[in-house]
Amino acid sequence: MARARLRSAYQATAAVTVLLLGLVTAACSGSGGDAASGPDGKALRMWTFKRTHVAALQRAADEFKRQSGVTVKVEAISPDDAFTAKIQSAAQTKDLPDVLEVHAGGEDFRIGGAGLLADLTGDFDATTLNRFLPSTRNAGLVTAERQRQIVELKTAKVGNLFSVPFTAGTFGIVYGNRQKMAAAGLDPATPPKTWEEFIGYLRATTKADPKQGGVSLGLKVSQTGFNWMYAQLAYAYLGKERYQALFGKGAAQGFASPEGVKTLSLYSQLTPYWIPGVTALGIDEADVAFAQGKSAFDVGGTFTLAFLSQNGMKPENVLSFPVPPPSGGKISDLRLAPLALTGLSVTSTSQNRDAAVKWVDFLTSAKGAAVFATSSLDLPATDLGAEAERLLGHDLAALQKYFTGPPESTYDAADASFRPPGYDDAKVGPPLVKLSPLKEADPAATGAQLDAVLGAMWKLAS
Amino acid sequence: MTARRRSRWRRWLAGYAFVAPAVALFLLMGLYTIGYGISLSFAKWNGFTPSWDWVGLRNYLDLLYQDPTLAPDLHRAALNTLVVMIAVPVGTVAVALPLAVLLNSVRRLRGLLRSVFFLPYVTSGIAVYYAWRYLLEPDGPMNFLLRSLGLGSLSRPQGFLADPSTALPTLIVIMIWGSVPVAMLLYLAGLQSINPNVLEAAQIDGAGSVRTVRHIVWPLLRPITTAILLLGLRDSMQGFQIFLVMTDGGPAGHTDVVGLQAYHLAFFKGLSPTLGLASALGWMIFIAALLLTVANGRMLRSNR
Repeated sequence: MARARLRSAYQATAAVTVLLLGLVTAACSGSGGDAASGPDGKALRMWTFKRTHVAALQRAADEFKRQSGVTVKVEAISPDDAFTAKIQSAAQTKDLPDVLEVHAGGEDFRIGGAGLLADLTGDFDATTLNRFLPSTRNAGLVTAERQRQIVELKTAKVGNLFSVPFTAGTFGIVYGNRQKMAAAGLDPATPPKTWEEFIGYLRATTKADPKQGGVSLGLKVSQTGFNWMYAQLAYAYLGKERYQALFGKGAAQGFASPEGVKTLSLYSQLTPYWIPGVTALGIDEADVAFAQGKSAFDVGGTFTLAFLSQNGMKPENVLSFPVPPPSGGKISDLRLAPLALTGLSVTSTSQNRDAAVKWVDFLTSAKGAAVFATSSLDLPATDLGAEAERLLGHDLAALQKYFTGPPESTYDAADASFRPPGYDDAKVGPPLVKLSPLKEADPAATGAQLDAVLGAMWKLAS
Repeated sequence: MTARRRSRWRRWLAGYAFVAPAVALFLLMGLYTIGYGISLSFAKWNGFTPSWDWVGLRNYLDLLYQDPTLAPDLHRAALNTLVVMIAVPVGTVAVALPLAVLLNSVRRLRGLLRSVFFLPYVTSGIAVYYAWRYLLEPDGPMNFLLRSLGLGSLSRPQGFLADPSTALPTLIVIMIWGSVPVAMLLYLAGLQSINPNVLEAAQIDGAGSVRTVRHIVWPLLRPITTAILLLGLRDSMQGFQIFLVMTDGGPAGHTDVVGLQAYHLAFFKGLSPTLGLASALGWMIFIAALLLTVANGRMLRSNR
């Protein structure tokens, strides 16, 4: 009897052990893919890092299913660090989805350079790429210049296409609260024409409402000040060639040069007008602050309008305009070239390559882009032509008028050819925050610090 | 096989069967991860490429002094970390010990008071950090309270986290607030283990409460103080969540710490091949923690 009990105890122990080991093994092995995806070409998986895109993508997916019979399951993984970690782990376990929406102009090249993205050259030829806004067409194309800039592309071939543009837009758009402008005695329909006028607007709104009349920007991510405000201001003041020389290898024409210091002095004029606590605000928090009436102006990109709208700000209460050019500068009518903000990629591990390419093709077609744009209020990279205003609404479509202009007056944020290889914009943000709003450094010291940062990047690259 | 040998064999098998899951888990989650992490610290990799680019000790040297884009930021973060490592444990002891002495002397509501003072430990976490952010905003309750009490000069118009002069001290205070409960409990346990006759003898000899604490309680609690200090040192060195959630190292790097640097290197570099650097920094933090543990052991032994 006792022996029988002992035997059953052994058997139970063995069973539990086998079960636990099985669980451990199962947990540590690849899952082999989601049940939603399979090699039959009838179901696709797609990941995006933009939660605000999910509903619009799903609506487009419904339309795609009616047309092709293929189901697409869209999943958002955010914030960005979670998306990065998810892709890294999925790459290791070979569990990547069929389609990815990625940050264009960097993320696609780094994932593609690792051999994880399919080359779409044969699927999107030059004629097909003509459907996109001109400055975004080659955003996912490997060029010799990009190979020099991005070390992960060394094994890729020039001409590989790792993504096609999906959403487009630009930074350096200022949003004004029309009610606050009117309360300050300003014309809520007229944007400032110059930087000096803009500072005057800020002076007026801050005087009318000292606590909530300033400008908001997500300076917790310190590089936003540089990328979304200073760069456009400096470009307009200095012109293209002189602006690019700021980043040059020798510091003779760098940020500490008289012209560089002048641009930093112009930027520092913002100091009295930032809303309280601006350096502790993330990008979304700054936009939310504006939507809640805690600031009179907000700096962002074309994509900001959709976010403001989602947070209760009525587009008709918003006046939008690009960062105004300073008087006496080289450019008096600054234009902002749209760049591809996100791109669509097909993974090389996809068992449904044809269906995935068809889905990407549909999303970037005039029809698919229209469905997406209507639902998301985000600008698609697909050129919607005359349909843009009807699909996007007047306010968002109106931003497109700042996209076109003579090349010499157009700031192109996607042009990185003049920067040191391996340029890290997170390094140029803190010196500018120390200049404004923190007032820890004057323009000359800030210029010297920026030159030192750029000098270190060049030194590393050589 | 005799019945005795069979029985021994079964017992042997049962024993190994019981430990097998733990061993398997350790091999998979422990040794594998440690080996993987060490190897990665000698390589350049972004998490995608099929092969690693071996760079030897370069990641370590780059972080320490060789890379002019990395080393200066790391040095500044290390200095901030050092400040936190000193301020948090010392502050914890400075608050927890008097609190424990007071609680130990209270006769009524002792249990309730203990629970109240233990609350920060139970509630600490990401949600609490967000609550603190709200409290510390320019128009938040903290500034309101200070102004209402006539202490407007102490209020911060930019908020406590956006002001470079208060950002790091504020985070230190919050970290102390979170670590006091456990320290207080340890001290309480220590106080209750002190022989009451010793304290009574001191009182008979005319020692007041301050003198008793200083010359009797404090020396007897030294091993606990050592443990609290070293635990605090380790937590201050490795923890980065509070910095990530509340300031992300800002404003302009004033609250950057080495743990946060490692996190940024791993996940905020636009998929550049910086995982090796992040791993190397993680191992450097580990080595520092190991040295502290050794010091801990020696100090505890010397206090016996």
